[in-house]
Amino acid sequence: MRHVGGARRGLDMWLLQRASAIYMAVFLLVFLMCFLGAGPIDFATWHGLFAPLAMKVGALLFVAALLAHAWIGLREIFIDYVHFLVPRLALYLAFGAIYLGCLVWAVDILWSVK
Amino acid sequence: MSIRTNRQRPFFLNLMAIRLPIGGVVSILHRASGALLSLAVPCLLYALMLSLRSPEDYAGVRAFFSGGLGWLISLGLIWALLHHFLAGLRHLGFDFGLGESRQTARRSAWLTLVVAVAVVGLIGLTTLLGGTA
Repeated sequence: MRHVGGARRGLDMWLLQRASAIYMAVFLLVFLMCFLGAGPIDFATWHGLFAPLAMKVGALLFVAALLAHAWIGLREIFIDYVHFLVPRLALYLAFGAIYLGCLVWAVDILWSVK
Repeated sequence: MSIRTNRQRPFFLNLMAIRLPIGGVVSILHRASGALLSLAVPCLLYALMLSLRSPEDYAGVRAFFSGGLGWLISLGLIWALLHHFLAGLRHLGFDFGLGESRQTARRSAWLTLVVAVAVVGLIGLTTLLGGTA
């Protein structure tokens, strides 16, 4: 049971890890500029930052990139430290489920900003 | 059912005697900060939800992150994010063949370590003196 999944999956994940990192870095810089440009931050300005559709979509893509990046990173850690197949797969699936839940939750959080 | 079959490999795990080169220190901290951030994601989403829900909850989130435990948590997370970000940039550089010589790699490793700690120290100090902590 040494090989679970195809040999190419590692390359896909390597690439996705870098693509998500670059998107997150760019989004964080853009968000920081919007944040600093919004003036003194109180509830109204903070809430207002997330009002435009473009910000909702950009932020949701950020959360999706973050979750994919985090899952791939945790997978690397589990591969190094969890040497038994069943607990390792259980951890993949548990974090997969938690993170998919987080993605749906993020949609609700962002789109409840009117 | 073990995935690894070779159980006879030599190993040396005396953490007090292992002397990692600086790149190794930055690398293990990259992993540790990544793990910390990964586990923090649901908590941060919860804070985001509260902060956008109502002015009262927004004030509550601000109060939490500016006082005592919340302040320490936010400094820890900011350090993790900064270190992970800088170490990640360093690795992206390596992917494109930038800064791979031993001397440059050591310098960028020190820079990653020092800048992340220094910025967090600065934020900690200004919030402490500014009375927000």
